[in-house]
Amino acid sequence: MASLSIRDLVVRYPGLDEPALDIPLLHLAPGARVALRGASGSGKTTLLNMVTGLARVPNGRVAWDGTDLATLGEGARDRWRATHVGLVMQDFHLFPGLSALDNVLLPRRLRWRGAGPEARAEALRLLERTGVPRPDQRVETLSRGQTQRVAIARALAARPTILVADEPTASLDAESGEAVGALLSEIAAKDGATLIIATHDPRLIERMSQVIELAAGRLADDRLAA
Amino acid sequence: MLGFILADLRCGWPGALAIGLIVALATALGIVVTLEERALRLGSARAANAFDLLIGAPGSETQLVLSSVFLQPAPLPLLSGAVLAGLARDPRVAWAAPIGFGDEMDGLPVVGTTDALIAGLGGLSEGVGFARLGDAIAGADAALGVGDSFHPVHAELASAGEVHQDTRYTIRGRLARTGSPWDRAILVPIEAVWATHGLHAGETAHGGGEKPDGYHGFDADAPVRPETLGDPAAPGVPAIVLRGRTIADAYNLRQEFRGDDTIAVFPAEVLTRLYGTLGDARLVVGAVAIAAQALVAASVLLVAVLHVVQRHRQIGALRAFGAARSAIFLIVWSEVALIAATGVAAGLGLGYVAARLIADRVMAASGLRLPIEFTAADAGVVLALLAAAGACALVPALIAYRQSPAAALRG
Repeated sequence: MASLSIRDLVVRYPGLDEPALDIPLLHLAPGARVALRGASGSGKTTLLNMVTGLARVPNGRVAWDGTDLATLGEGARDRWRATHVGLVMQDFHLFPGLSALDNVLLPRRLRWRGAGPEARAEALRLLERTGVPRPDQRVETLSRGQTQRVAIARALAARPTILVADEPTASLDAESGEAVGALLSEIAAKDGATLIIATHDPRLIERMSQVIELAAGRLADDRLAA
Repeated sequence: MLGFILADLRCGWPGALAIGLIVALATALGIVVTLEERALRLGSARAANAFDLLIGAPGSETQLVLSSVFLQPAPLPLLSGAVLAGLARDPRVAWAAPIGFGDEMDGLPVVGTTDALIAGLGGLSEGVGFARLGDAIAGADAALGVGDSFHPVHAELASAGEVHQDTRYTIRGRLARTGSPWDRAILVPIEAVWATHGLHAGETAHGGGEKPDGYHGFDADAPVRPETLGDPAAPGVPAIVLRGRTIADAYNLRQEFRGDDTIAVFPAEVLTRLYGTLGDARLVVGAVAIAAQALVAASVLLVAVLHVVQRHRQIGALRAFGAARSAIFLIVWSEVALIAATGVAAGLGLGYVAARLIADRVMAASGLRLPIEFTAADAGVVLALLAAAGACALVPALIAYRQSPAAALRG
């Protein structure tokens, strides 16, 4: 279970007068399931980069359970993210030429941890849980819906307490999108993970417990800033 | 990790193959230059092994060596017969043999000489030496067998010469392989060459004189008489090859015969001069090869960097999912280094094969055997190439290392 606390976060990009993101206060309770909504350029991606430690926090405080990402260096953020955050992206970022199973095990292998029988068994269990029937199949031969399921299994491999998805259903057809959305919210609920999904998909938004609306880098609804 | 690298290379195999091939060709270019230059030096030095000291009439030292050692056809001025007669009696001389050019058979040079040179060249691999004027010894690669007979043709540069109908030689033995153009030669007694050309002991360049008995025309069954060579009145020869009893003797003889009437030359000194020129040429060609390799390195580097930049989102994604930066650095470095190293290795093989093919063609054309061999120095060159490849691979690896994981998200 992870709670998020943001304070005085202002992100500016060179050449822009207005900050890309300006969040004086934001708090998310452990196990919250949050839809992040907003027009293109409203700062969704910037906010995701901040809360996942993908980019440096320039000022203010972005803390998960007391760990302030603003104080961590690049390597430390990588290590923190590897053990706390599961990421699912719109265009999957699975690596062709590898099987579904190898894709799930890849992040672990690329952290010099290897993949013993335990990790392998866990990966197989996750693939079963996300509904991928043939773990040995090369990912480039899977349907898009199947591919996103493999990506979700990969996101879960490190048993993350935080799940972050960026438009996970946008490149899927309605049926697959529905299934993937159901899977994500179900898994987050079962595992007690805090789930943040940037999305425009109304059916996916419906599944969430709360909605954060971003407009021009600012929170549209101040009630969330509890 | 390795599985990922291999899978990645498998996915991009056409590009990897193309880059590997370019690296291989650039490597092969440098290797061929090195191998051929070395082979030419070794091969010519080995071919000159039997030729300690050459004595000829005044003229070009280089031409004397090229004509005697490499049997390059050229009109050489004749030495007086007295020179050979003097050398035959000289205590400093281990052996001395005349070399008489001028005839050929189906493009193979027919060279007049004596048993001394046959022994000096390494002896016979089959048959017997000269006993009668009609006896001939075939070089290792001459397309004639023991027992075959032929008429020599008077060699005239660039045109078909007259057939010596009266002269008929029969092959009696075969020369052991020398690895030199002599493998394609046919050796005959020098007296037979004189007889064929109407030169007889007692006839000088000024013409006239008594004709001793037994030297009227060409008689194939007349016995070879080595003592003829000791006759100061014997006909002239274009070149004499000799070996001194000691190195000091050889130097003394060389000194003594460098004068107005004769030139004396160690083939090694002429070859060393030629190697100097060859070395200069090698430097130029070698520089061109290195420049080509540098260009290839630069273009491969460019392609690798472009490739990494093009895949920045994928690389960012790897990190976003938790890959260590060190792992990403190692992956990119390994892939570039692996392709380059494979290219270098393939280039070694390719260069060796190309050098062998060139050597075979040279052998077929000239009879000179070019030994294509790697030496310890080549290992240094290969290591340097590999090190350069490894250093070049650092650039895309560093770019990938510095790639922000935030690139993975749309933005």
